[in-house]
Amino acid sequence: MSGEKIVVHVDIDLEDLIPGFLDNRQKDIQKLESALQENDFETLRSIGHNLKGVGGGYGFSDITEMGAEIEVGARANDLESISENIKKLSHYLSKLEIIYEEG
Amino acid sequence: MNKQYRLLVVDDEQDVLSLLETLLKKDGHEVETATSGEEALAKMEENIPDLVITDLYMDGMNGMQLMESIHSKTPLLPVIILSGQAQIRDAVKATHMGSTAFLTKPIDKDKLSEQVRYTLNVSANGRKDSEFAEGIIYKSNIMAELVDLSMAVAATNVTVFISGETGTGKEIFARAIHKGSERSGAPFIGINCGAIPEQLLESELFGHEKGAFTGAATRHEGLFRAANGGTLFLDEIGDMPLSLQVKLLRVLQDMEVRPVGSTKTYSIDVRIISASHRDLDEMVNSGEFRSDLYYRLKVVPLEMPKLSERCEDIPLLADHFLEEHAQANNKKKKHLSPESLDYLMAAKWPGNIRQLNNVIELCATLSKTKTIALSLIRMGCQDRSKQMKTLKQAKLEFEKNYLIGILKISSGHVANAAKIAGRNRTEFYKLLNLHNIEPAKFRS
Repeated sequence: MSGEKIVVHVDIDLEDLIPGFLDNRQKDIQKLESALQENDFETLRSIGHNLKGVGGGYGFSDITEMGAEIEVGARANDLESISENIKKLSHYLSKLEIIYEEG
Repeated sequence: MNKQYRLLVVDDEQDVLSLLETLLKKDGHEVETATSGEEALAKMEENIPDLVITDLYMDGMNGMQLMESIHSKTPLLPVIILSGQAQIRDAVKATHMGSTAFLTKPIDKDKLSEQVRYTLNVSANGRKDSEFAEGIIYKSNIMAELVDLSMAVAATNVTVFISGETGTGKEIFARAIHKGSERSGAPFIGINCGAIPEQLLESELFGHEKGAFTGAATRHEGLFRAANGGTLFLDEIGDMPLSLQVKLLRVLQDMEVRPVGSTKTYSIDVRIISASHRDLDEMVNSGEFRSDLYYRLKVVPLEMPKLSERCEDIPLLADHFLEEHAQANNKKKKHLSPESLDYLMAAKWPGNIRQLNNVIELCATLSKTKTIALSLIRMGCQDRSKQMKTLKQAKLEFEKNYLIGILKISSGHVANAAKIAGRNRTEFYKLLNLHNIEPAKFRS
């Protein structure tokens, strides 16, 4: 994974919501990691499903895609794929640079 | 948007809730939120919103159960279901259960705005932003699309052909198009081409000169000229005889009419809207309808859906007919029980809106209680024989219309009218008395 910033353009109307949204995603990563440790596929599926539903609406379609991968992985009990996608999500969030613009 | 609407948004995921709240507030709506179906119902006890948007899968009460609960108390309240899983079976089930729309997550800002605007424009007890849609009662997408198309067409001068089964509201749309057009200040004249004998139809449409044929005691302007500057609605055009079709085609090509018995032509400026319940494509194939006329009439085709194809409109329509019945009879408005409404929504309605109106009127008249019970609705729907006229009634009705038609042509001259009818004057007077028709009323 590269060290370059990941630039995402977000609707300026959502600016106030974004810090809270990203905080919640960090919390999701913690929950996902602990669920992964415990092989708790139901929690993994549920969080993956939520990520899938919420990401694109805020402008983060990559989060939707990663969430979908985690959900599919959890349904298939595929720990490797889930783990990889959690790492991808963590990396994505750490490199995120947001540019707000008129929708 | 002139009016601020109240929206209740329900989702157990706080990020989705915040997003919806922000987007909808930006669109100018007043937004209240609830994190569960139970909380939503509690909030609705205090204040009923104009629209509910709910997630489908939630802990506790899910979106379908919430919608069911909402509709048991307020059957006409629009509900949009949101789901993270775009499963067709969910969407189908939600639609059957009365949801106005089904949107998928992630939320698409534009689709959300459009759907909410759509729903609010056309529902909520018939409150509509569009003057065009006044008198057209609907909330279904299929009708909303038809209204949009008709509005676009109204602004132009093109010829419109409306197809659809009997009782689907073809004339209401024709009138709406006229009203929404620049011609609205000029007359809208409608004629049922199937209800008038061929000879009379020609004279009725194009006019005739005095003495043009036996019984033509005075000059008749004809409907094309009477509708000049406005709209002529040719209903049941499929019933027009072939010989007249060619004459109509010529008029439409030249935009000129020549009254029967006249050598003079008159320019006309008339928009033509035609309609038929018959399959004109098939009639063209079988040679019963001229293809050249068909294509000239069908510049913009509008297809009226059957009532069974827009069953989500049935609660609104039923409510409207109940209101009409109450006002006409100066009585308190009656209501349908939720089971009655379900039954009406699942019925087949071969007679479409007209049949629904008949059933509602019958049930509202017969119901001794304020709430119309399912048993009565069942009876009203099944007793089709009562909705049909007897052969004698139908014959009498035809006879009356026929007599009126020839009296119009002969300008109330009984001897001439009797000649057209092939009866002597005494017999003719007897017929007029039977139908209580006064020939003097037709004298110009």
